[in-house]
Amino acid sequence: MATKPEEPKSNPRGIPTFPFLPNVTDYVKSQQEVEGTLQRFQEMISKYQFMSQNVERRAAGLREKLPEMRKSLETVKFLRMQKGMSANDTDGDELEDDLDDKSGIIETTFPLQDTLYAHATVDTKNLEEVYLWLGANVMVAYPLDEAEKLLQEKLDKAKESLKAAEEDLEFVRVQTTTLEVATARVHNWDVGEKRKLREQGKLEDKEND
Amino acid sequence: MMLSRRVLTKEEESETTENEVTKEDQDKINEFSRLHNRSKALEEELESKKKEKEDLEEITTELELADEDEPIQYKVGDTFYAVKLPIAQKLLETSTGETEEEVTRLEDELSSMKEGMDSLKAHLYARFGRGINLEG
Repeated sequence: MATKPEEPKSNPRGIPTFPFLPNVTDYVKSQQEVEGTLQRFQEMISKYQFMSQNVERRAAGLREKLPEMRKSLETVKFLRMQKGMSANDTDGDELEDDLDDKSGIIETTFPLQDTLYAHATVDTKNLEEVYLWLGANVMVAYPLDEAEKLLQEKLDKAKESLKAAEEDLEFVRVQTTTLEVATARVHNWDVGEKRKLREQGKLEDKEND
Repeated sequence: MMLSRRVLTKEEESETTENEVTKEDQDKINEFSRLHNRSKALEEELESKKKEKEDLEEITTELELADEDEPIQYKVGDTFYAVKLPIAQKLLETSTGETEEEVTRLEDELSSMKEGMDSLKAHLYARFGRGINLEG
């Protein structure tokens, strides 16, 4: 068999690889080692599961935040569009000819609280800034275009982190699968060895399962 | 999904093969496991996108009957904006288009995954028979 390039020892974010070894006897040298090895595998599976839970929690947090970020971005885009329509009333756009309202004033119904709405009028023509909550009790005024850029960047970054978290989960799952297969292989090998010994009469004829 | 650890009956055991697990097999098992999990997540996503698409189509039909002089309360983010009918229709068209694209993308991805899984399944069952369980 051609020698393949060796597997990296960990994934890009430092999660260790569980190596696949072609011969069961690379995992266990003798039957005496079987029990200890299986126990070691089980511990490693637990560790991977722990990692998986942590990453899953992080991914869930990101998944929750994404819609919020999308909503903010959509709103800024919408406001810019409205502003744009009020600004260029001379270019004779077909759609805008249908609409005599170039005032840029838009009626909104917005949530004052959950389940409590109020009316507000937004003058998009004179709307230059929006306030972005940056966290840590800080809010900053941004011009509309910069706000859109910032929100887009934040959204892209969050998507990237989510992708990384999902890759980590897949990676951990592959390691766990390899470990489960290794467990089955060691177990089957042990059964086979015992059978050989029994056939040679070297082991008491007793079922141990 | 794993190599079965339960004790097989004599009959079943005769149907399993004595093949050792090679690196290639392991890679295939891992790939199957990965696709299996990924496809489950995608199916869920597709389901919700399809629902979204249906909703959007329903609204589109609804809007055809709307009064042109009445502004439409169109939701962007958490707020409703009173917009003119043609604007609401334009916004709706954009959303519908994006959702349709997404549905097509997910369906394509899912079907190529299913293909991959089927061929891996065929290979692995041929190698391990009942010694491996790839269902569920």
